[in-house]
Amino acid sequence: MLQADAATAPARLIAGGATILGASVLADSSIEHYRGSFHHPAMAVPIVAAVAAIRVNAAGGRDRSSVPNEPLRDPAQRPERRPRTPAHAAIAAAGAAGLGFHGWDIARRVGHLRWSTLFYAAPIGAPAALILSGALGAAADALATRDPRLGPLPVGGRFVGALAVIGLVGTSAEAALLHFRGAFHSPWMWLPVTLPPLAALALARDTLSGVPKDTSWALLGATALLGFVGAGFHARGVARNMGGWRNWRQNLLVGPPIPAPPAFTGLALAGLGALLLMRRGHG
Amino acid sequence: MRADALTTPRAANGRAPDVFEPGGWVPMREHREQDEVDFAIVGTGAGGGTLACKLAEAGFSVVAFDAGAYWRPLEDFASDERHQAKLYWTDDRIVDGPDPLKLGSNNSGKSVGGSTVHFAMVSLRFRPEWFKSRTKLGYGVDWPIDWREMWRYYAEVEEALKIAGPVRYPWGPKRPRYPYRAHPLNAAAEHLARGAEALGTDWAETPIATLSAPHGKAHPCVYRGMCVIGCSTNAKQSVLVTWLPRALAAGAEIRDLAMVGRIEMGPNGRATGVHYHREGEWRFQRAKNVVVAGYAIETPRLLLNSACSRFPDGLANRSGLVGRNLMVQLNQAVWGQVDEEIRSYKGPPSLAINEHWNYADAGKDYHGGWAYMSQGPLPISWARSLSGGRGLWGRALIDEMARSNHSVGLKMVGEVLPYAHNRVTLADETDQYGLPIPRVTFAIGDNERRMVAHALDFMEASLEATGARERWRETDDTCHLNGTARMGFDPETSVVDADCRSWDVPNLWICDGSVFPTVGGANPSLTIQALACRTADRIKELSRRGAL
Ligand SMILES: Cc1cc2nc3c(=O)[nH]c(=O)nc-3n(C[C@H](O)[C@H](O)[C@H](O)COP(=O)(O)OP(=O)(O)OC[C@H]3O[C@@H](n4cnc5c(N)ncnc54)[C@H](O)[C@@H]3O)c2cc1C
Ligand code: SF4
Repeated sequence: MLQADAATAPARLIAGGATILGASVLADSSIEHYRGSFHHPAMAVPIVAAVAAIRVNAAGGRDRSSVPNEPLRDPAQRPERRPRTPAHAAIAAAGAAGLGFHGWDIARRVGHLRWSTLFYAAPIGAPAALILSGALGAAADALATRDPRLGPLPVGGRFVGALAVIGLVGTSAEAALLHFRGAFHSPWMWLPVTLPPLAALALARDTLSGVPKDTSWALLGATALLGFVGAGFHARGVARNMGGWRNWRQNLLVGPPIPAPPAFTGLALAGLGALLLMRRGHG
Repeated sequence: MRADALTTPRAANGRAPDVFEPGGWVPMREHREQDEVDFAIVGTGAGGGTLACKLAEAGFSVVAFDAGAYWRPLEDFASDERHQAKLYWTDDRIVDGPDPLKLGSNNSGKSVGGSTVHFAMVSLRFRPEWFKSRTKLGYGVDWPIDWREMWRYYAEVEEALKIAGPVRYPWGPKRPRYPYRAHPLNAAAEHLARGAEALGTDWAETPIATLSAPHGKAHPCVYRGMCVIGCSTNAKQSVLVTWLPRALAAGAEIRDLAMVGRIEMGPNGRATGVHYHREGEWRFQRAKNVVVAGYAIETPRLLLNSACSRFPDGLANRSGLVGRNLMVQLNQAVWGQVDEEIRSYKGPPSLAINEHWNYADAGKDYHGGWAYMSQGPLPISWARSLSGGRGLWGRALIDEMARSNHSVGLKMVGEVLPYAHNRVTLADETDQYGLPIPRVTFAIGDNERRMVAHALDFMEASLEATGARERWRETDDTCHLNGTARMGFDPETSVVDADCRSWDVPNLWICDGSVFPTVGGANPSLTIQALACRTADRIKELSRRGAL
C-alpha cells in the first residue's frame, strides 16, 4: 500500500503526461482528419476520445469525489475502487480501433506494404497514442487508490515505466519513419530519433532493475523539453512551404505536424513519474 | 509577370536575378569583351548550365550565353498554358521528311536554364548496356564512356538536384538511395501501378526532379501540376534554380537575351570567341575555349553556320556528321475512361513509371528499349491530343473535354535508332537575327514502328486491366531531341571525343544531348547533366596537365 504523499506527485506527472498525449492527439488528428475531409464518419472518433482524455486526465492523480482538486493525503481515506476506469478504457479502445482502421488503409493501398504506403497512408502508430493516454490515465487514477492495480497488474513505477518505454519506442519509430520521408534534410531531424530512444533505453533499464539512475532523469527531462523544441522546429517547417505562414490554411496541413512532437513530452513526463515512484520505493 | 525580361537583359550591371526572391538580385561578376575568358558557353540548359557551374567552381572564368530570358519563377510564372509559351523556342524552323517533327513546347526551350525550365522532371539513369549497345545488344553504336563512370556522375547529379525517388529502384544495377523520398502517387499513377501488377511486371514511383522536402530556399512541391509550363514554387529542380545560382556564386557570368550567331576561328585553327546579338547589336566576346550547348537543333545549326574558309562545311565537321543522326524519342500513348475521378493534373505528370521493357530483351521483335509513365495533361494540351491525336472536333470535342477528369493514360518514352538521314541542315531563309534557320528532316524506321506496336499493345493491356473503357491510341507524338554531334572513338565516325571536345578544333567543346550516340528508352536530362559534370572533371584534368 502506498504512503500518503508518495503517490500524489508521480500520479500527477503521469496524469499530466496522459493529458498532453491526449492534447497532441486532439490537435494532430483534427488537422489530419480535416485534411482527409472526414470522409469516413469514424474519423471523428479520435477527436471525441482525445477531448475525453484531456478532461478525464487533467483531474487525474487525485480523487475528485471526496476532496475536490486536492489529492488525498491519508491513504485510509482513499477509495477502494477507481471511479474512471470505464472512461480510460473507452479512450484506449478508440485508439485500438484507430490502429485497425489505419492498418486497413495501408492494406488496401496499391503496392501494399511499401515505403510510400507507410509514408503517405494513414500513420500506423498515431492512434496508439490514445491507447497510451488511456492506460497512463488509468494508472494515475489507480495510484490514488488503496490497492493500485489495473486488472491483475499492480500499478507502480515499473508498470508505468514499461508503458512509457513502449510509448517512447513507438513514437520514436514513427518520427524515424516520417523524418526518413523528409530525408533528414535538416540535421536537427536526427534529435527525435536519438534522444528519446536513449531515454527509453535508460528507463527500460531502470524499469527492469527498479532502481532509477541519474542519467535516466536527465534523458527523460531532455526528452520532455524536446517535445516543445520539436513543435518549434515543425512551425519553422510549415513556414518553409510555399507562401509560409501567410498561407497557413494550406501549409498547416502539408507541413510537418506541429502537435506531434509534444507527444514526447507527455511520455517523458509519465517516465519521470515512474522514476519518482521507483525512487520512493514503489516499484 | 514582368514583360521586360523578354526585351531588356536582366543579368547586367554586376547583378543577376535572384530566382528565390520576387524582385531580388544576386551579385554577378562581369567580364569585358576584350578579355579572353577561359570559357564562353553557348546555352545555359541541362548541358551548358551544369557545365558553367562546374567550371566556375573549378576556378575558370566563364561567360554563359542564352538567347532566352532570365526568369524569376516566383513572380514570372503564371498557371496559364498560353502565357507560359514564353518559355518555348518558337523561332522559325523548317520541318520536313516522311515524318516531320512537331517542334515547340514538347521539345525545346528558350530561357536561362534551357528546356529544364519547363521539362517534366523525370530523371532516369540509362541502362548500363546502352553505353555499349553495339557490342552488347547488337544495334546502334557504342559510347566511348564506361557505364560505371557514368554511374558516379549520375549520383552526383541526383544529389545536387535532390531527386525524389523510391527507396529501392527495381531495375538495373545497384544504385545509391535517391536523396529525397518519392512523392505520393496520384490516381493516374495508381492506375499504372495496378496495371503493371496485373501484367506481372514491376513498377516504381518515378524518380523526379521536384522536392519532396525543402532544400535551401526552395519550397517542396505543392502538387498543382503546372510543371511543364514552368514551376512557380521553385520545387522543380531546373537548371535555373540549381546549377545557375551556384555558378553565379562561384563567379560565372550569365548573359541573357544573348543569341550567339557565329563562332570565330583564328588563323591557327582554334576558336577565338563568339559573335552574339544582344540589345539590338552584334557583339564579340573573346574566349580561350568555346562550348556549344544549344540542344540538338541549335548546336549543329551554330556549328554549320560558323563555316569559314578553313572549315567550309562547318566547324567540327570533318566526318560530315554534324547535324546527322538526329534522334527523338517515341512518345505514343494509350488513353481510356474510368469511373473514378483521376484529376491527373494533380501533381507532376509522371509519378509512376514502368521501365520493364528497357531492361528486358526477350520477346521483342525490334532493337532498343522503352519505358512508360502515367500522364497529367493540362487542358490545352489535352484538347490538342483530343483534336489532333483523336480527331475530335466541335460538339464531340467539348463533350470529351467535359469528361477529362475521368481520363487516364500511359505514355511511352521509346528509343529511336540513329539514322544518318535524320538531320539538321541550314535553310535559305533567315530569322530575326539574320541567321539561316535550321531545316529538320526526319523519318522513323521499321524498327521504331515495331516498338510502337508492342508498346501500345502493352500499355493498352495495362489500362484494360484497371478497368479503363473506350480506349484509344495517340500515335503521332515525339519528345526529346538528341544526337547531331555524336561522341565516339575516332574523328572519322564522330564529332567529339569522350571528353566532348571536338576532334577538329581543340578548344571547341559540345556539351548537351547532341553528343549522344544513342538515346535509349529513358528521358535524357539526367544523362546530359552527368556528362556535363564529367566533362568539367575532364577539363580540370586536362588543364592540370597543360593539355587544354
Ligand atoms: C516539355 C518538355 C518535357 C521534358 N521532360 C523531360 C523529362 O521529364 N525528363 C528529361 O530527362 N528530359 C525532359 N525533357 C528534355 C530535356 O529538357 C532536354 O533533354 C534537356 O533540357 C536538353 O538539354 P540541353 O542542354 O541540350 O538543351 P536545353 O536545356 O534546351 O538548353 C539549350 C539552351 O540553349 C539556348 N540556346 C540555343 N542556341 C543558342 C544560341 N545560338 N545562342 C544562345 N543561346 C542558345 C536555348 O535558349 C536554351 O536555353 C523535356 C523537354 C520538354 C521541352
Ligand atoms: S506540381 Fe510541384 S513541380 Fe509541378 S509545378 Fe507544382 S510545385 Fe512545381
